[in-house]
Amino acid sequence: MSFIDVNHLSKTFKVAKRNSGLKAALKSFVNRKYVSIDAVKDVSFKINKGEIVGYIGPNGAGKSTTIKMLCGILKPDSGSISINHMSPFEERKKFVKDIGVVFGQRSQLWWDIPAEDTFDLLKVIYKIDDKEYLETKNKLVEMLDIKDVIKMPVRQLSLGQRMRCEIAASLLHKPSILFLDEPTIGLDAVSKEKVRNFIIEINKKYKTTVILTSHDMNDIEALANRIILIGRGSKLFDGTLNDLKAKFGNCRKVTIITNDTLKKFNKKGVCKRTKTDIGYEFIIDINLISISSFVNYVGEYVDISDIDIDSDNIDNLIIKLYQEYNI
Amino acid sequence: MRLYFNLFKNKLITNISYRMSAIAGILTQFFFGFVFISVYVAFFESGNSDLDLHKIVSYIWLNQAFYGLTYIMLKDNDFVSMIKNGNIAYELCKPINFFKKWFSTFYGIRVANVLLKFLPIICIAMLLPYPYKLEAPVSIMGFALFVVSLIISSFLVTGIAYIFHILIFFTLDDRGIINIFQVLGEIFSGGSIPLYLFPGFLQTIAYALPFRYISDLPYNLYTGYFSINEGISLITCSIIWLVVIVIIGNILTKLALNKSVIQGG
Amino acid sequence: MDLYFKALGMHIKTSCEYKLSSIINFIAQFFVMFSDYFIIIALFSKFGNIKGFTLYEILLCYSIIQLGYSINDVFFKGLDDFSDIIINGMFDRLLVRPRSLLIQILASKVSLVRTSRIIQCIGIMIYSIINLDLELNLIKVIVLLLMIIGSVVIFFSILLLMSGLSFFTVQGLEIKSLFTYGGKQIAQYPIAIFKKYIVLFFTFVIPYGLVNYYPYLYFLGRNDNVFYAFAPLGTLIFLGISLVVFKLSSNKYVSTGS
Repeated sequence: MSFIDVNHLSKTFKVAKRNSGLKAALKSFVNRKYVSIDAVKDVSFKINKGEIVGYIGPNGAGKSTTIKMLCGILKPDSGSISINHMSPFEERKKFVKDIGVVFGQRSQLWWDIPAEDTFDLLKVIYKIDDKEYLETKNKLVEMLDIKDVIKMPVRQLSLGQRMRCEIAASLLHKPSILFLDEPTIGLDAVSKEKVRNFIIEINKKYKTTVILTSHDMNDIEALANRIILIGRGSKLFDGTLNDLKAKFGNCRKVTIITNDTLKKFNKKGVCKRTKTDIGYEFIIDINLISISSFVNYVGEYVDISDIDIDSDNIDNLIIKLYQEYNI
Repeated sequence: MRLYFNLFKNKLITNISYRMSAIAGILTQFFFGFVFISVYVAFFESGNSDLDLHKIVSYIWLNQAFYGLTYIMLKDNDFVSMIKNGNIAYELCKPINFFKKWFSTFYGIRVANVLLKFLPIICIAMLLPYPYKLEAPVSIMGFALFVVSLIISSFLVTGIAYIFHILIFFTLDDRGIINIFQVLGEIFSGGSIPLYLFPGFLQTIAYALPFRYISDLPYNLYTGYFSINEGISLITCSIIWLVVIVIIGNILTKLALNKSVIQGG
Repeated sequence: MDLYFKALGMHIKTSCEYKLSSIINFIAQFFVMFSDYFIIIALFSKFGNIKGFTLYEILLCYSIIQLGYSINDVFFKGLDDFSDIIINGMFDRLLVRPRSLLIQILASKVSLVRTSRIIQCIGIMIYSIINLDLELNLIKVIVLLLMIIGSVVIFFSILLLMSGLSFFTVQGLEIKSLFTYGGKQIAQYPIAIFKKYIVLFFTFVIPYGLVNYYPYLYFLGRNDNVFYAFAPLGTLIFLGISLVVFKLSSNKYVSTGS
């Protein structure tokens, strides 16, 4: 049995429907309609100890529902989860001792006092003994370079400093699995780099299994050797980044700078078109249309003042993927 | 004017739409009505008093029915957080009358608070048995004056609430001092008990303050505690107070604008 | 409990970060609560007595109820504001920690500025007892303590029940004020002065009567029945029921999801 073993996982929610306007508001006051939404449909995967897995998908795809079920917060409607021989929901209190969770947009640090105080509280929460706590804390503080930062009230910290404290807080009890939900959201390039390096380091050092969701594809590229893609509740792709590139790596982003307006056109191989301030951006599939013929084609309609071709970018890949699966 | 009416309407719509909330609100008002009346019934059963229980009971039901409209302590959290995070500086500089804007918004919230609740409360309270019954108004004229003074009251309380809110801009404390003012306003408005139940000297103070026109005047016009003639002169006073409150509100807004310009936000 | 006291220390530290604002609020809270006493005093100035109870007897009765309420307001504020935890999603955070939900909820918020209310209640309690000219003995002091504990237990249980409700809906929580604030209004006066159905409701459903009537008669020396004296212990049954309801609703919430 694998370290993490997920079988045929499903979850459905009931959501109240509501329209806008005074009339609709009064109407829903009397009679309310509900809609069922399949947040997660028949998802299965296995993860080995020490893997870093990127769990990706567009908003509303069922990412956070899956993560919640993996953390033991939500009970699956059907299917099973086994993590380290435990069922997260059924044995929640025992299970959560062994996981660390970072919700990128929801802090667990106390706002008005130094992060170190929150650390001390977590020591009590997880019943960590003094010696072990000090050891772990010092090591994390050193690795994340937050020695002085944890002595300042959290509200005075920069976003990057805060996120590093956040990550330290979730690792004080030495969990064997770390869930990271958007860990680099809103951070500047330097902070992102620090966070990524740290994640790689603890993964190497402690064999910590990391499950990561992010919209920043650079995170995924830097960290995850394996990607699970989910869309509309179903698993769409599971494999290494290289597999993904081999399968869909034929996309290029072509930026065309022009003052003219381009009419809508349908051409095979053009996956996506975006209007920008200075021209247009296209994602094209070079197996279906070569760059030169594409540029020639566009050049017939507009006067191209500059052109930029960006290859092998994982963002392009994902766009292509989303389009492939129509999500 | 159209703009401000739309602001009012938007607030009304967004605040009205919670079914559970309205039902819970009606239940709560009823419960409190019963509690207060039970206390008075017990007091009246304990000894002689020259007071009229019916008038007090009717007063309590009206107060419960229109509580959301005349409640002084109602706080708008959007406004408070706007002051706390400093965004108010941008708002003050916009080419739209700040006072009118927030007056319309507050008014929308208040109307939304009572719109779904007051009729059920009044209708049911009228059907209750003695001594819990809400009596019919004593005269048509008294009822008309009640309606007029309630409308003035709703503007007056909105204006006063606006002043409490804009004062937070100067004190930067949304609880402490403001809370004390609000509690005093609540007591002196007659929102807890009719002012004629106050001990002597406090009654004199209460009658001199503008708060009395918020709850005490309209409900006592309905019950006939105030005569028609008294009512007309008191309503005139309340209009004067309304003008004064609006002027103070505008002056404070201007001061706030100056302060934010000097501080640069 | 270690967790709660650790968190309490952190709450104190937080308050110290905003010294001036904390002090102003501390004073303001004193005034806010005083309005209820004012109303009682005003009504007594017109009516003289309520079913044979005098002003100081009512003030003492209310200060006991108010003290129970205030202690909850200060130390168990997290439970009072539990719906916020549900709304802002912090509940997920509590679930990924290996400790009991209730302790974590209690630890989440403490309102130290409201300790001025506790001081006020104790002040009024002592002032009323002095004016009442009572013969105090050990048993009566114990009964008074039991009444205070019972009062704390009742409000704590109501907050628990309401938190249980917030698992199902966070709308319409105004109804909470019906039981806490409204209950407090009615319990200002010994329950038995009211009509029969009110007495029954507030003895057997929400047991205010077990705190502010039966033992109170004993305390005032109007009744010698020992059962009356120890009636506040009955509130523990209410607490037990509330704990079960809270537990069941939290289980239900977790399994169905938000």
